[in-house]
Amino acid sequence: MAQAPALPMDLAPVERRVAAGFWSDAFWRLRHDPPTVAAFAMLLLLVALSAGADLLADRVFGISYIKQDLFNTYRKPILEQPSWWLGSDNLGRSEIVRLLYAGRVSLFIGAFGAAVSMTVGVVLGISAGYFRGWWDDLVVWLVSTVSSVPRLFLLIIVGLLFRLDPLSLAVFIGLLGWLGISNLARGQTFALREREFVLAARTIGATPVRVMLRHVFPNVLPLLIVIAMIDVGAIILAESGLSYLGFGIQPPVPSWGNMLTGATQFLSRAPWLVYGPGFAITLTILCLYLIGDGLRDALDPRLRGAK
Amino acid sequence: MQAIPTLLGIMVLTFLLTRLSPADPIDFMVGGVTDITAADREALREAYGLNRPLPLQFVDWAWSAVRLDFGKSFFSHRPALQLIGERIPNTLQLAVAGLLVGLGLGVPLGVVAALARGSPADHTIRVLSVVLHAIPDFFLGLLFVLILGVQLRWFPIGSMNTIGVDCGFCWDRIWHMAGPVLLYANAGIATYPRYLRTEVLEILGQDFVRTARSKGLRERIVVAVHVLRNALIPVVSLLGGILTIVISGSVIVEQVFNWPGLGRLLFEAAQNKDYPVVQASVLIGSALLLASYILRDIAYAWVDPRIKVR
Repeated sequence: MAQAPALPMDLAPVERRVAAGFWSDAFWRLRHDPPTVAAFAMLLLLVALSAGADLLADRVFGISYIKQDLFNTYRKPILEQPSWWLGSDNLGRSEIVRLLYAGRVSLFIGAFGAAVSMTVGVVLGISAGYFRGWWDDLVVWLVSTVSSVPRLFLLIIVGLLFRLDPLSLAVFIGLLGWLGISNLARGQTFALREREFVLAARTIGATPVRVMLRHVFPNVLPLLIVIAMIDVGAIILAESGLSYLGFGIQPPVPSWGNMLTGATQFLSRAPWLVYGPGFAITLTILCLYLIGDGLRDALDPRLRGAK
Repeated sequence: MQAIPTLLGIMVLTFLLTRLSPADPIDFMVGGVTDITAADREALREAYGLNRPLPLQFVDWAWSAVRLDFGKSFFSHRPALQLIGERIPNTLQLAVAGLLVGLGLGVPLGVVAALARGSPADHTIRVLSVVLHAIPDFFLGLLFVLILGVQLRWFPIGSMNTIGVDCGFCWDRIWHMAGPVLLYANAGIATYPRYLRTEVLEILGQDFVRTARSKGLRERIVVAVHVLRNALIPVVSLLGGILTIVISGSVIVEQVFNWPGLGRLLFEAAQNKDYPVVQASVLIGSALLLASYILRDIAYAWVDPRIKVR
């Protein structure tokens, strides 16, 4: 850019605009992207509803998620009674209250699983890209091996062998989901480690750990955030698929997936039970996907104006 | 050649996962039989080689797996390979058809979206692909069964044939395949338009397209020959992810539509804790995936001559 012409003395600059940094610029772009803002609001609402499940069940619906009412099974959804807004299931439990608690389980697994796969993927990916050599070969072999086993097949074995609570299931799904992240981090690190600033850091004696943490990682971070959003969705999908098959979260703990299994069994008697959990999953993943999309547009300067 | 260490890794993984379990396979094998003595148990353990050191067990198991001997099912007492062999054609039938339908619908949608940029068609396609991407397979399948099967009765709600009809590959079969095939195709329909739209738009802006147009070629030929040929590259590179979804998703699709394929076999075996069959189906499923990755790489080199097969 050309240098600003010198201003006449009487026209003193009123205000100096500070150039927007990378993150504030990205944030500005995000705020001006209606679909992303809407998706973000929707997701927050879902999280808030799940987090407040105890309170809502107590105050609004007046019924706990395990309360059975065998005189009122297969109730159709009606507006008058809050706990039957989405009907009741085969044991007379309130569908909407269970949906809230299930959201808690499913969202937790998505978030925690993504955190696990993020950590593993970033550590393995960056270190493989940075050190290369036999360590890189090992990581690549591990990635190609795990990615060659159909993920659901592996999860079924895991679910078959261990009785899984939400925490351990999240860890397992996370441990199988780091492949894409690791590939991405590794590829980026390959390019970054040849750059001058990395060389400069090494010249002044920075340890490899410091170079990776302070110089490589921040440059990989924006792309990783995008992947993380999509990953949370993928993990929720994996969990619900596994629970749908009966190898994931076991009843009476509700998850969106195992609620659908229950609903399938009573498809002819109570078809409305399918819609609640199904749409809950769809909505969550849709939001995460839109947020990921919006974040990518906001965080990747190369994409700007390409739309 | 890279496939060999990968295959070895898969074998170790499958073996360890099933053997590290806290449960004793003998418990599952004897099932409800209560009057079994400790000596009988010991004899069973000895007979199945469960008393030997783990690495030795693995070498044994791996050696027989290489010779395609996966042991016998705990339940039907038939060789696991035979059980799988019966199911594989059913799975491949669906998966290949689904892959083709996904390509056949997804690619044109992407091209149309790019050519009609900014039009209502473009927006509709974009929304459709995002929504289809977000709907879980099993929910979409359930909706299909519930609405088109149970309520409207347009399609059968499961299995491969109408009971009593077995005419091989005929209309009855195709009618039964419609639901699961569409479900498999979903991955393609949701993925291709998104990426192809960007790709086609990029190609349309390149010099050789302008050259083709300026030498007087009809637009149809420009798109069909110059643009599509180049847009095929991302189609092939996206195949990897879609293949994974298709093979991994076979469990769910076959479960929803009660289709007797590999995925359903794994599901049933897992429910019965039938370890030999579980191990064998995971290995065969992985081998299928590996094989399709190799096919993809070959297709890649064919589509993009700049890539040489190493």
